[in-house]
Formats: sequence, structure tokens, C-alpha cells
Amino acid sequence: MALKIRSLKDFSAGVMFIAIGGVFGLGASQYPMGTAVRMGPAYFPSILGWLTVALGAFVLVESLFVDEEPPTPTAWRPLILVLASVTAFAALVNTGGLITATVVQIIMSALGGHEFKWKEAIISAVLLSVAVWAIFDKALGLPFKLFPWS
Amino acid sequence: MTELIQHLSLGFSVALTWQNLMYCFIGCFLGTLIGVLPGIGPVATIAMLLPITFNLPPTPALIMLAGIYYGASYGGSTTAILVNLPGESSSVVTCIDGYQMGRQGRAGPALAIAAIGSFFAGCVGTILIALFGPPLAELAFEFGAAEYFSMMVLGLVSAVVLAHGSLIKAVCMILVGLLLGLVGTDVNSGIARYSFGISELSDGIGFVSVAMGMFGFGEIISNLEQGEEREVNTSKVGSLMPSWTDLKMSFGPIVRGTALGTIFGILPGSHTVIASFSSYTLEKKLAKDPSRFGKGAIEGVAGPEAANNAAAQTSFIPLLTLGIPTGAVMALMVGAMTIQGIAPGPQGMTQKPDLFWGMIASMWVGNLMLVILNLPLISMWVQYLKIPYRVLFPGIILFCCIGAFSVNNSPAEVYLAAIFGGFGYFASKWGCEPGPLLLGFVLGPLMEENLRRAMLISRGDPSVFVTRPISAGMLIVAALLLIIIVAPQVRKKREEVVYESAD
Repeated sequence: MALKIRSLKDFSAGVMFIAIGGVFGLGASQYPMGTAVRMGPAYFPSILGWLTVALGAFVLVESLFVDEEPPTPTAWRPLILVLASVTAFAALVNTGGLITATVVQIIMSALGGHEFKWKEAIISAVLLSVAVWAIFDKALGLPFKLFPWS
Repeated sequence: MTELIQHLSLGFSVALTWQNLMYCFIGCFLGTLIGVLPGIGPVATIAMLLPITFNLPPTPALIMLAGIYYGASYGGSTTAILVNLPGESSSVVTCIDGYQMGRQGRAGPALAIAAIGSFFAGCVGTILIALFGPPLAELAFEFGAAEYFSMMVLGLVSAVVLAHGSLIKAVCMILVGLLLGLVGTDVNSGIARYSFGISELSDGIGFVSVAMGMFGFGEIISNLEQGEEREVNTSKVGSLMPSWTDLKMSFGPIVRGTALGTIFGILPGSHTVIASFSSYTLEKKLAKDPSRFGKGAIEGVAGPEAANNAAAQTSFIPLLTLGIPTGAVMALMVGAMTIQGIAPGPQGMTQKPDLFWGMIASMWVGNLMLVILNLPLISMWVQYLKIPYRVLFPGIILFCCIGAFSVNNSPAEVYLAAIFGGFGYFASKWGCEPGPLLLGFVLGPLMEENLRRAMLISRGDPSVFVTRPISAGMLIVAALLLIIIVAPQVRKKREEVVYESAD
């Protein structure tokens, strides 16, 4: 009998857990292990890491034998645009200022929605910029840089 | 008894100052405002609003947080009744009959009964916390490192019992959470673990980034994937006042729901979903005409809402007395308290009684506020729900970004939140729930510390966990729970309940 992935969900999850557990398990080898009495920084994470790898392997093996519906297709467009808009905000907030980051973030993430309308996106970018300025700069007085030139 | 009154009067003297009432109100209002949004549960709501409490002194900050929590839970019920799209898993049950009532033009009474039921349960819950808090805290003072470690194991095992879907994947998520919690400088050796040379990581991963990424961004992306299919019951909310018959029919379910919810809330593990489900099943069994259920029976709203709120309230008991969070929401509360420099646990009650009792009294005030303020605002929530999601979600993301940024005034938290957003999206696509991960994340450093201390005291003898009676008892309960869930029959039943609630 040829082995076949019967549950793509479990297969992917298994791979993910093995990878994460492995990174922590292997990474722990850089740190002192210590003894059971005086546990070093590697002790607890190596136990947890390798346990994660073992359980991940179990999930992976299970995926070859138990049938399950495949996961829904990945929504790449919202995934990429939402995360990119967050990253853009992080990159711009200290350099371009809060208002610049807000406008870019709003328009980019709106592009990830089902329907994109320029008019709506621009109106909400303007309204939210005003709201953000009023709440965080005026009312709460947080030390934000607002514009690239300020 | 006099002690109880003394404690509560101290609490109310703190909670009823104008300043604290205002913070409680702002918390409830903002919590409802975000919680009403479909597809945004209490965890995402709290994570998003958390940063606004950072600049406040501890007492108002915690009062506001409790307000946000109740507002968020109440907002979830509002969405369930008006949109048939539960904001949180514990409102799933409310959807069944609440939405049907709404379609019959009885959304008003449904919302009113939900509020009254929640308020009643909230009152009972508050009294119970005041009653059981001090003796449990006494008990907690007897706990050593071994007991704490075993108790955390028990808490994590119980969290797995109710995770949606596969058990083993939930255990894996807990382990990943524990591991992520260990990132950063090790307290004993000073070594920056898993920081990959990034200086921001040597302080550890901020829990706001994890919660916001996995619950906020991850959920938003999943919502966008599903498309905009919601039908808002905007036709007519109807008169708010429930009729006499409504009230009479709801009284029994509210009392029974409160009792069920209280029991489930105190148990370790986040049991609000189970509480509302069992209340619904119980009412259906007790009803003279069970066929009315699913077609707008008011008992099906009253019981589960009371149960849900009672469980939400009493789940504060293990957190405040033992310092152990029992679910994702409580894990967030721990994070918030830590940022305020308060370690949740028995010390809190004795060292800062005004803060502890003030928070408990403000829970009651918050529940009352929700009834008084939100019922008149319902028509506003209806208008608000008419705004299409495509306009709302960029704004939600924006406030998350600003929130994550303002934790340390550094973009690092925002980048991390983006990474966790992607991780959370794929994890839940592959059937791994983010809740257990967040719980593990908060408990990671605590577990390591207590394990180290217990082993140091026992000189490396691991039998300390089974020779100390309280510790052994907790490990036995944890083991029994695991065996019971794995048993084929229970497994089937659990899948029924959990999957039903997931749909």
C-alpha cells in the first residue's frame, strides 16, 4: 500500500510542530544544560522542544491513515495584504510618522477586502487619521511623530 | 460574615469614586463597541484595548480592564441576537434561539433578558468571589513550588479538554506556547535564549503581540476568507421591555443557568462554552414543549446567557486567589496585571486589599452599567452593525497596530504581531486552536521557575511531585482527565459538543 496524505490539515500541522519543536530543541544545545538539581537554561526548553517534535511526528503519521476533509484554500490576497499593511505600519511609524503610517495601512489593508472602492478607502483613511490624531496625540498625549517633516 | 461585608464595603468605596466609575464606564463602552463587531471575540477585544490602560495607575487600569471584559462578552451576545454571527464561542448557543426571536421582531426582549440574566449571574458570581476568595488564598499560601507546578499542569490539561478539534494538536499548541514563553533572558543564568541576536527579543516576546496577532489579525484574515455573508436584523428591535410571561418563563432558567455556570467557572479550564451548552440542554430537557427550542424560545436565551456570565465571573476565582489563569482571557488578564506590576495570586489580596476588593466591586458595577447603559444604546449598535465589514476591518487593524506599538513605543512588537497573525491563520486552518497556545505562553516562565525551585528543594528528586499530597492529588486529577477524554465513549461525546459549538 502506497502511503498517501489523507489529511492535509494534520500533515501540515505535524510538519509545523516538528519544525518549531526542532528549532527550540536544537537551539537549546547552545546553552548549558545543567543538572536536575540546578537546571540550566537549556533544560526545560529541550524537554519541551523534543516533546513537541515527538507529538508532531505522531500527528504527521496519523495524517497518513486518517481521512479528513482538506483545509479550505488559503486566502492569499487578504493574508498578504493584511500582513503587509501591518508591516508597512511598523516600518513607517517612526520614519514617516503616525499619519503617513495610518493612511498607507488603511489603504493597503482595504485592498485585501472583497470589494475595494477608492472613495471609501480614502474617506476612511482621512477620518481615521483625524481620529488617531485626536485620540492619541491630543487626548492621550502619546509621544508620536505625526508627519515625516515633524 | 462581618468580614465579608467589610471587604465588600471597602471594595465599593474604591469602585464608587467618580474617577473609577468613569473608567469602568469607558471600559464597558469600548468593550461593547469592539465586542459587537462580528467575528471579534473577547480575547481580540481585550488585546486591542489593553494598551489604553497602560498609562493608568493599577486600580483604575484593572477596573477598566474588567469593564472591557464584560463589555466584550455582552457585545458578543448582542451580535449573536442581531446578526446570527457569534463574536465568541460561548455566544453560539445564544444564536440559536436569540436570532430566531430577533427574526420574530422580539430582538428587544431577547437582548433585555440576556442582560438581566447576565446581571443576575454577575451578582451571584461577585458574592461567590468575595466568599471563596479569602479561604482559597489562605490555602494558596501553603503551596510550595511543587504544588504550583502540578496545578499548572492540571490547568493546562483542563484547557485541552475543551479545545476544538484534535486533542493532540491542542497539546502541541500548549507546548509551542510554553516554548515561546521561554524566549528572552533566562532569570537564573542571564543568557538571552532564542533571541537570534535581535536585541528586542532578549526581553522576551510581548504577549500583546501574540494575542493580537493570533486572535486579532488571524481572525480578521479568516473572516475575509469567508466573505461577507451576514444578515443584520435591522428590521425592528421591537419594544425592549420583556412581558410578564417572558420574565416568569426566564426566572427558572436564569437561576439554573447561574448555578451551572458557577460550577463550571471555578473548575480549571475555560468552561464558558460548556456552561452555556449544558444550560441549553438542561432547559430543553425540562421544557414542557421542547420543540419550541430553536424557534425562538426565551428560555434558550436566558439560561445560557446566565450560565455564560456566571462562568466568566467565577473563572476569576482561581486567577485572583491562586494566580493561575484558566483560559485565554484570564491569561490576558495576567499579562495586563504583570505590566501593571501586580502578580496575581494570594499576595494581591493581602497586600493590596483596596485594589483587590475594588476590582471585585467594580465587576458588579460593570454588570449593572451594562444593563443600564447598553439597553438604551441598542438602536445605536444596530446602526453600527450596518457598516460593511470591508470598511470596518482596516480600522480594527489600525488600532491593533497602534496598540502593539505603544506597548514599548517600538515597532518590534508590531512586526511580531504580523508574524503571529500569519502563524495564527495557518494554525487554525490546520485545526490548531490559538487559545491553548496563549495559555501556555503565559504559563511558560512560571512553570519553569517552579519546576526549578521544586527540584532544587528536593535535591533533584522528581518524586517530590507525587509524594506531597496536594501536588499528587492535582496530578492524579490531570491524569484522570486525560484518560477520560481519550476513552472512546467520552471522546465521541466531547467531539459532538465541541464540534457543534464550532459550527
